[in-house]
Amino acid sequence: MGVPLALVITPLMYGVGLIAADVVNLFWPVPAEFWRKAGAVAGFGKVALDWLVQQKSADPQALAVGAAVMLVPGMLFSFLLWVGLVRLLRRSGSGGALLALAAREPLPTVLKELQLADVVQEMAIAAGLPAPQLMLIDAPGANACILGAGPENARIVVSRALLEDLEREELEAILAHLLASIGNGDLRIAVRMTAVFEACGLLLAIINAPFGPQARRTLWRLVRCWLGSGSDDPKEQAAIADFLTRSAGLETDDIDRFMDPSGKKSVLRSLRNFLLFPIFLTNLAIKLLLWVFLSVMVGPFLALLWRTRQYLADASAIQLTRNPDALARALQKLSQEPGQIPGGDWAAHLFLVLPGEGVGHADNSLSAQQMQTLARVWLASAPAGTQSTWATAGNFSAVSNQISATVQAAISGDVQAMARLHAAYHELTATDPQLAAQVPNPDDLVSARHGDFSAMTRLQAVRRNQNQKASKDDSAGSQAPSLIDFHPPLKRRLNRLAKLGAQIHENSAEPKARIVVLVLSLLLGPFVLAILALLLLLIAILIMASMTFVAIWLAVIHKLFALAGGVRIG
Amino acid sequence: MNGMQLSFTMAGVTAVLVGTWLVITFNRLVAMRNRVQNAWAQIDVQLNRRHDLVPNLVETARGYMEHEHSVLDAVTAARAQAISASNDLAARATTESMLGGTLGRLVAVAEGYPQLRAAENFKVLQEQLTSTENRIAYARQFYNDEVRKYNTSQATFPGNLVAGMLGFSPKSMFLADEADCSIRLLSKNDESGRGEERG
Repeated sequence: MGVPLALVITPLMYGVGLIAADVVNLFWPVPAEFWRKAGAVAGFGKVALDWLVQQKSADPQALAVGAAVMLVPGMLFSFLLWVGLVRLLRRSGSGGALLALAAREPLPTVLKELQLADVVQEMAIAAGLPAPQLMLIDAPGANACILGAGPENARIVVSRALLEDLEREELEAILAHLLASIGNGDLRIAVRMTAVFEACGLLLAIINAPFGPQARRTLWRLVRCWLGSGSDDPKEQAAIADFLTRSAGLETDDIDRFMDPSGKKSVLRSLRNFLLFPIFLTNLAIKLLLWVFLSVMVGPFLALLWRTRQYLADASAIQLTRNPDALARALQKLSQEPGQIPGGDWAAHLFLVLPGEGVGHADNSLSAQQMQTLARVWLASAPAGTQSTWATAGNFSAVSNQISATVQAAISGDVQAMARLHAAYHELTATDPQLAAQVPNPDDLVSARHGDFSAMTRLQAVRRNQNQKASKDDSAGSQAPSLIDFHPPLKRRLNRLAKLGAQIHENSAEPKARIVVLVLSLLLGPFVLAILALLLLLIAILIMASMTFVAIWLAVIHKLFALAGGVRIG
Repeated sequence: MNGMQLSFTMAGVTAVLVGTWLVITFNRLVAMRNRVQNAWAQIDVQLNRRHDLVPNLVETARGYMEHEHSVLDAVTAARAQAISASNDLAARATTESMLGGTLGRLVAVAEGYPQLRAAENFKVLQEQLTSTENRIAYARQFYNDEVRKYNTSQATFPGNLVAGMLGFSPKSMFLADEADCSIRLLSKNDESGRGEERG
């Protein structure tokens, strides 16, 4: 990953290693050889730094070793994180994703859903692939996506509104596009891409871990998932869903909360903040780095790559259906409305169109007391004997996840879950109507299944409220930082389809607007570049500062340990 | 190394290279031929699925249009013939298109019975039938695509030099025939709206 990123992480890793060595030294004296080696390694690093900062000439070999010393541990660590995430996502990523999206099985009693299942089968035959499992979402936005690790365990997720909006031919074209995508191996690429973004989030979580209970909990559950073997374990999937929807966004951190809690400032706290300042600075540097890194360097690159795959999927879809017009019409229809899918922000690139904002935010932040009440009512409504240990009144996000899981079960027809929802909903409407907006109305669930749009919108508002509690910023996903959109622009897609034989009815061609955009971009280009350069300079300064502080801090701690050791021995 | 050894070495290397190329080509052609056979078997699967759907359809229809004996009996007879001709390839094409034709007539006649059309289970059956016809069409399309790839592979240079020797001959594609058009054109009126010929 990024060289600057490695530069920031490596000192921290060395720091951790040195502190560990110091602690060990207190109990069993570490041989002096170790300290000498450590000193030599640090010497190499110093040579590299001097060359960089003060332009002191240096022996190239020493320089190379120094560079390696400074960069390799960080890079190795990030790479291992990425590999671990790929493995995790491949194994149970789709399950967790389905939970986050609140997807359900299609009902054989609804004719339209039966037709959809049939169309999926037909397209799978045409493509020569095993038919992927079909799941539906009750959301008013028309959108669809593919999930999974490969053609063997792929899943297609379609929103109910898509069924209503598109005709049979267009539905075929869209599904052909999705299946062609699966057949072309886009799922493997998608898993790796998602892992890149999630690895950045994971890095942040690791840095935040000593400070915040949230980050610690997420990390702990992730580690348990990674070590565990089951891919169907609902807790594992819930953990991944939690991780994906929350920590992919670079939102307010545990560290910030730690540093500046609401209320009393005491001397002790300020002192503690001062002592831990290097960590704070590192956190800031990493956040800034990740933002620039993702949006300017990695993001656009991956976006262009993904666009190529989308063009290929379009062409393959036409090869399957032999009907270019239908695909063009379908894409035009889908691009006209925002296809908002709650809970799908982190996977925006997998969807057909960008899950937009659509309905405005209702400002529904709950007070702590309200959260308590909601948790209490929910837990009280549990049927006797099924208390789970990890959802308690204090652990609100777990309660929220449990509510989502019960809603899912109710949608799939679980009578007990539906009854529980009914009980909880009535209790909440009696106690606090605002709280009732946090739990979906069970009757809405039933009518949404049959295509009732107002019910779907209400359900979506509820989901939005639920997600808002978890992440402050709804539209921050892994998708947001990239400067270039992952979805190919509609015009270019239609152009390519026209070359393949589609007849497209354009609404408006605006050559004037394009010229204006071109002139503007030429004018503003240098400014943007200048800002970028400044940003990079700022980052470089931050990195230097962070390294310096970490070094000072480590030296102080080392001295303290040495003193403690000396006192103990002598 | 003198001239003799050099030429031996070169001959040896060339032989190894040619052998490797032969092996790779052979394996590739075998894989493609197997894909073609698999695609053919897929068509069989879909045709059998159609056989299985027919009794249910006939019984549901009979409840509403009892006096349309000729149509219903024609469907049943065609199905029986199609099942009995499973092993004979040439006869099979004829029987299957006849079954398709009679089913098309049944659907056309059912248009005139609004109660039958509105019945829930008939809708489901009709959807399954239309889907089966589509699946047969797509299975044929997939078969044709695979045959095209296979034919291209075994006819292009340098593969064609050895294809004949290794036992790979071109396969024939499915062509549309008259009877198959009937059911698709007739299904235009129902709510699924698939009325186009596929190639």
